[in-house]
Amino acid sequence: MMLNGVAIDDTFAEAFGMRATRILVTALNLKWAYHAARAVTGFATSVIGCGCEAGIERELSTEETPDGRPGLSLLLFAVSGRELARQVERRVGQCVLTAPTTAVFAGLDGEAVNLGRNLRFFGDGWQMSKVIGGKRYWRIPVMDGEFLCEDTTGMIKAVGGGNFLVLARGQAEALAACEAAIEAMSRLRGVIMPFPGGVVRSGSKVGSKYKALPASTNDAFCPTLRGAVSSELSPEIGAVLEIVIDGLTQTDVRNAMRAGIDAVCTLGAAGGVLRVSAGNYGGKLGQFHFKLHEIMR
Amino acid sequence: MTALTLTLRSPPPRSVDMSALTPQRLAGLNAAQIGALQLRRGLCVAQVFDIAAGDVQHVVIRNSCDRLTHIGAAMRCGAITVEGDCGAYAGLGLNGADLIVTGNAGSFAGSGMKAGSIRIHGNAGDFAGGALEGDRQGMRGGTLAIHGDAGDRAGERMRRGLLLIGGNAGAYCGANMLAGTIFVAGKAGPMPGFSLKRGTLLLARMPDNLPVTFQDSGEHSLLFLTLLEKQLQRDRRSFARFLPISQTVRRYCGDLACGGTGEILVLVRGSIA
Repeated sequence: MMLNGVAIDDTFAEAFGMRATRILVTALNLKWAYHAARAVTGFATSVIGCGCEAGIERELSTEETPDGRPGLSLLLFAVSGRELARQVERRVGQCVLTAPTTAVFAGLDGEAVNLGRNLRFFGDGWQMSKVIGGKRYWRIPVMDGEFLCEDTTGMIKAVGGGNFLVLARGQAEALAACEAAIEAMSRLRGVIMPFPGGVVRSGSKVGSKYKALPASTNDAFCPTLRGAVSSELSPEIGAVLEIVIDGLTQTDVRNAMRAGIDAVCTLGAAGGVLRVSAGNYGGKLGQFHFKLHEIMR
Repeated sequence: MTALTLTLRSPPPRSVDMSALTPQRLAGLNAAQIGALQLRRGLCVAQVFDIAAGDVQHVVIRNSCDRLTHIGAAMRCGAITVEGDCGAYAGLGLNGADLIVTGNAGSFAGSGMKAGSIRIHGNAGDFAGGALEGDRQGMRGGTLAIHGDAGDRAGERMRRGLLLIGGNAGAYCGANMLAGTIFVAGKAGPMPGFSLKRGTLLLARMPDNLPVTFQDSGEHSLLFLTLLEKQLQRDRRSFARFLPISQTVRRYCGDLACGGTGEILVLVRGSIA
């Protein structure tokens, strides 16, 4: 399949079942909502080393937030419900509770995950519960007034690890194409691209020559190893970048992949983009397969 | 489908316990069977009411008066509309249903209610949302909205839920309160929040005096009041009397004789008229 001079490989992205939640962080203004949100979603690029994958889904208008203030919607993904609960509590406790003027609310219905249920004990007995509209909130006294948080948020089954690879003439062309893709994908709801700027250069394969490592560099896509390993890269390809997508549903991931690849192909061969491929493990590990040709048909 | 309508023929000489006439207890009964139900020994429904058959999930009681007690007691589903006044114990232990009273209600309205809503368009007697004699807790959830005045000891020993009083509240409003929220849009009588342990007593106006065991914590902007206001705005027609709610309040923490983890909040500006 060729789109605007870009070859779309006949392959698929292999993704995994994960657990996800959405939380809404509000503040006096968007600046402080971003401070808290960036801290919550910091160091959350991969479940391999961070415990969870997290990102800012979108900005919320004052009409969309429970407290009528500016806010942000965040998505967090983990490999199990227990780990997700641990990450939510730790990150909200350290990054939202601490940030001036912020409040945090549930953004999903589903199996309950503690949000403020244990954070309330920070109030040392002065915390107050309020049940409003059937939902329990906690008012925790802090030095700038009160930290308001919902008791729990909802957790659902989700999809993590959707991806595609952009193969270009050089670094600059690959990066420009990925930036265009991220801009297009950021407009969609229900997905995050958890790596810095949404783009990852250290694609991995399963296993390593070192027994302690579960994963190591994806040598087949490393341009400097062409000739030394069984490379996937033709001579004209100088750089490969990957975009990883976590979504609340398969449809969300599929739509994001299509939007991203569309944006990449709009730049086309004239923009230095030569191929689009996807990462998989032979189809044996992940329960979701996103076939590039089907998505782009 | 129209509601099952019970029209009171004339005010009964003595009080009549209406707790048998809830949607869950009437389910599956036809008009004749409903008419044969005993309200008390020797007195059946058909002797007191004219019955117009209809959907038992919505019961309308017409020409109601204060001799009819326990209306909607322990009701778990459906709705009851009382056209007129009702006696004591309306919505006693109500759990997840709706009760509307277009007139006044007697004492102990909503006592021990756990979920659902009670709306009283007139006034309510003493102990609205409060605890029965010997009970450790009053209202335990749901919303009790009194559009008129409430008698003494409204919300006494209240454990959870929202008690809205559109008019004035009598003495000892929220006394011995354990948790929950009481909002008085009018004026609260003497000794509001006496022995309050936890919970919030939200007052639109500063009462003439507070118990000395409440201490001024100053003026604060509290975010949860925005959530409360938004919740009431969802049913703006019913709760217009309580809107808008100012986010800025003067906070009095107390009752310090009981730990001081509760509060009386007095709206500061932008409060309701």
